[in-house]
Amino acid sequence: MRGSPLIRALLAFIVIAMLGWPLWRLTSSTEAVATPVSSVPATEAKAIGLQLTFTAVPKSFVIRHLEKDLWSEPTPQAEMEREVTIPFPEKGVDLIVKIEWPEGAALAAARVRLTDPAGDTHEKSVWGQGTTEEVLTFP
Amino acid sequence: MKIFAFSLVALLLSPSAQAADKIRVSSFSTVLTEIAQQVGGDRVEVTGHVRPDMDPHEFEPKPSDLKTVGDAQLILVSAKHLEGYVGKLKQATGTKGTLLEVGDKFPSLKMKDDHGHDHGPKDGHKHGDLVEDPHWWHSIANTQKAVKIVRDELAKISPADQKTFAANAAAYAGKLDALQKWVKTEIAKLPRDQRKLVTSHDAFQYFAKENGFTIYAIEGLSSADQPSSKKVAEIIAIIKSQGVKAIFPESIQNPKVLKEITRETAAKVGRELYADGLGEGAAGTYEGMYKSNVNAIVSALK
Repeated sequence: MRGSPLIRALLAFIVIAMLGWPLWRLTSSTEAVATPVSSVPATEAKAIGLQLTFTAVPKSFVIRHLEKDLWSEPTPQAEMEREVTIPFPEKGVDLIVKIEWPEGAALAAARVRLTDPAGDTHEKSVWGQGTTEEVLTFP
Repeated sequence: MKIFAFSLVALLLSPSAQAADKIRVSSFSTVLTEIAQQVGGDRVEVTGHVRPDMDPHEFEPKPSDLKTVGDAQLILVSAKHLEGYVGKLKQATGTKGTLLEVGDKFPSLKMKDDHGHDHGPKDGHKHGDLVEDPHWWHSIANTQKAVKIVRDELAKISPADQKTFAANAAAYAGKLDALQKWVKTEIAKLPRDQRKLVTSHDAFQYFAKENGFTIYAIEGLSSADQPSSKKVAEIIAIIKSQGVKAIFPESIQNPKVLKEITRETAAKVGRELYADGLGEGAAGTYEGMYKSNVNAIVSALK
């Protein structure tokens, strides 16, 4: 084959580049965009019933779930109930119950009754004076 | 005569005389070292043979340790087969001190013996067997029990100090109660169906049981050996199918594997967990170690 060495070198480079490009594409590690972590569907939010019974009417209370206030009342009563909608996985839920009891009051209790989406009822009690904050796990 | 009297008083008040009066405790667990110091207060002199920068699974006592154990009145070990050397250590030193195998005083959870610890042939169990999980201190309830066990043993050695030990133990137990409450509140930030821990070391069974977690321990991730591609595929499948948000390798010796897992699953790499006892700095106390672990887990899985 005749011709300028420069042209021959250029032709060789083009051939190598044409073969090399698909080869590089096949073998290079790509910084792929990660797939979403979870193939587990999020737990659907469902209505649950909450019923509170206090042995002494507290100054205030708040029930929290996953860092959000679920229920609080400025003027609580001895017995109250409410329906709330939250995800309720099979493993259950943790509710944080914070109660401000009247100053100087004797040891008092609150009963928290939860009716789950299946209609089953579960009860937990909280005892305290001053300020009480407890994590209650249902069921 | 006056000089002799002064010398005698000075000798009695000297630090060495006071130290000799203290109960000598040898501890082979960083957690038990703290418990002994907290419960014993100034009535004990505690030597922590296993320090926070040491792996208790790999620890081997040196001649200086033997000498201290020989003089100890109380020897504290985690037990549940964590310290295979301690029985022989006591025989070798001829100590008359009490060997208190604290962990054996409460029930064990079982774990698969595949997490890279060198238990040695004397253990009598094969790789893959179910063995007692020795990491009992990841249950605060167990640590509360350990405080009472140490309190009672110190009171047996020095009945005159029984009230002091009881008061110190009650104060420390109060701190543990507060810690337990803090932990429950922090963990409550995580939905119960997202409490899944992928760790490289199967050391958190007690923590998991107490706080509603499921553990997926990854064999091979922290060892120097490359796990097989089949194993890596299994890990990726678990993380994807369980929707695990983060993995917690204790020591990353396989960065390629870790990179592959995180790229395939988008799971984050969580901060270091203290599996084998107290850490250093802020994690140098039981409370600090526990809070560090909980903060790492909650921030990664939230």
